[in-house]
Amino acid sequence: MMTATPFKTVCVIDDDKIYIYGLKKLITIKELSPNLMEFYNGKEAIDFLINPENQNQLPDIIFLDINMPVMDGWGFMESFVKIKPQLSKKITIYMVSSSINQDDINRAKGISDVTDYVIKPISQDTLVELFNVAA
Amino acid sequence: MSEEKDTAFGMFPIGLQALNQHYFANKQLHNLIESTNTGLWERNIEDQQAWWSPKFCELLGYDYGALDTSYTSFIDKLVHPEDKKPLVDAYQNHLKTQSPYKMEVRLLTKEQGYRWFETSGKAWPDENGKLSRMIGAVVDIDQKKRNEIKLKRNEFLLNETNKIANVGGWELDVVNMELTWSKEIYEIYELPANISPDVDSAISFFEPGYREIISAAVSDAIKFCKPYDLELQIRTARGNVIWVRTKGIPIIDSNGECITLRGIFQNINENKLKELNLQKSLDLLGDHNRRLQNFAHIVSHNLRSHSGNLQFMVNIFAENISAAEKDEVFGNIRSISESLATTIDHLNEIVKIQTEISKELKPVDFESVFKSTQNVLDSNIRRTRAMICYDFSSCPTINYVPAYLESIFLNLLSNSLKYRHPDRNPKIICETYFDKEHTYMTFEDNGLGIDLEKHKDKVFGMYRTFHQNTNAKGIGLFITRNQIESLGGSIQIESTVNVGTKFTLKLT
Repeated sequence: MMTATPFKTVCVIDDDKIYIYGLKKLITIKELSPNLMEFYNGKEAIDFLINPENQNQLPDIIFLDINMPVMDGWGFMESFVKIKPQLSKKITIYMVSSSINQDDINRAKGISDVTDYVIKPISQDTLVELFNVAA
Repeated sequence: MSEEKDTAFGMFPIGLQALNQHYFANKQLHNLIESTNTGLWERNIEDQQAWWSPKFCELLGYDYGALDTSYTSFIDKLVHPEDKKPLVDAYQNHLKTQSPYKMEVRLLTKEQGYRWFETSGKAWPDENGKLSRMIGAVVDIDQKKRNEIKLKRNEFLLNETNKIANVGGWELDVVNMELTWSKEIYEIYELPANISPDVDSAISFFEPGYREIISAAVSDAIKFCKPYDLELQIRTARGNVIWVRTKGIPIIDSNGECITLRGIFQNINENKLKELNLQKSLDLLGDHNRRLQNFAHIVSHNLRSHSGNLQFMVNIFAENISAAEKDEVFGNIRSISESLATTIDHLNEIVKIQTEISKELKPVDFESVFKSTQNVLDSNIRRTRAMICYDFSSCPTINYVPAYLESIFLNLLSNSLKYRHPDRNPKIICETYFDKEHTYMTFEDNGLGIDLEKHKDKVFGMYRTFHQNTNAKGIGLFITRNQIESLGGSIQIESTVNVGTKFTLKLT
């Protein structure tokens, strides 16, 4: 098993609370990061990221779901591209969805700020690898 | 020959040999007549003795003098059996009434079988005024007659073919804008054949919408020498609406200008209707297929999200975690199992809509269904102080699956109440109307609205929610759409954020 560079700040944007619970547990078990923030839709995340007061707490990695109310994953990416220049650090974004629809996969891969598209459920090995890639 | 000389000739009958002798005596006249390929004959009405000129004999392939000098034998041996009676009748009529004697008959030639001749003649009286002789001439019309017969047969064939194919021909003289139609076109238009057509009135028979197309096609054909081939609808003189195929081909002169437009005009109504029906079934099938495929996607996606979570939890359960954490994980597994059951119930509901073959259509009264829906949601309506108006007067009933209409009303109404605007009481207006062949319903509220720029293709999707609303399940509009589409209808949405939402349903 690979070892990950520890202590990155992780952000999950997903409306599925069970998934967030699982991801959190997995990150804790694998000791990948002690810092995890969660948002239930894209808009909440954008509001946090854009706030100047939060610039010193920005995440290193974002796990972004596609289907969410208010602002979905695509909407988040559109806004993210716009606010990116104002952000104080580089953020690695993974789109994580249970959709195996090729249209969704192609669309995600077509966005340059999305590092990869991962199909749910995310396995432990994949998770560790994603942390390494983002290092 | 003047009339006077004619009579004079007739008044001095000189016997049968007379014409013969005259004929040869006047060498110039004789040569002239022989050179015109006209054979002469003379017939004694009393004893049926006959004389045949050299040319006459030659036309039949005989030497002069080789033909029997009896008119009876001529009729017996040389006239075609079918022509005998008409010839004899004409002869008798002529004697009785002096009706003109001019016949087309087939005569048996020596070596070429029967050939067509035209024979004409006139009976002359003797000095006592009694008709005693007939003098006449024959001309070979075989080629002409055969062409004529062939032409007639072709024409008959063409006419029959055109009649069977329901196709007519037309020609437009572009210089004078003179239009000519064949008989069939009159029949297709159901017009009497005695009117003369012109371009404008011909075009006026086309149904609105097709009129502009045919006008443009004709004008392009004339201006740019562009042929056309169109399938359009006309309304005939008797008011029947039929499909026709109209094809026009420009005839171009040496300057490259269109001088004539020619074309065909065909009644293709029967086939076109069949074709349209086929297309309709094809569309229906395609539609059904698309929905099934969509459904397969939905099933796969929705079950995947649950199975993914389940797998996730089971994996974590297997990790070295505390008893308290195991309880938590198990709690999650329980809620996944509940969601899974709910999802499967929802999917079942959709399957039921998709596969219910015996959907029984019944006349349903909009008002009574709408009122009973209001009763179901009564406490909700009171609590939200909603004002609900309806007008079903222009289309009060519909042939529909009653349960679907109830479900549609319930979903739309509860949605409007659920997504009401916080700053004002809900106002809901529902109306029905009939347009051409379809029954429409509009359902309008003054609620939160939805940003269609972003969500247009998702509004009617499964488990799509757009507002942060804890009781949003994202199943209502999906079911509504499925119910409407399964009965061949469609649903459209217009919405403005903070203003309201309007649904337009094409029900049948």
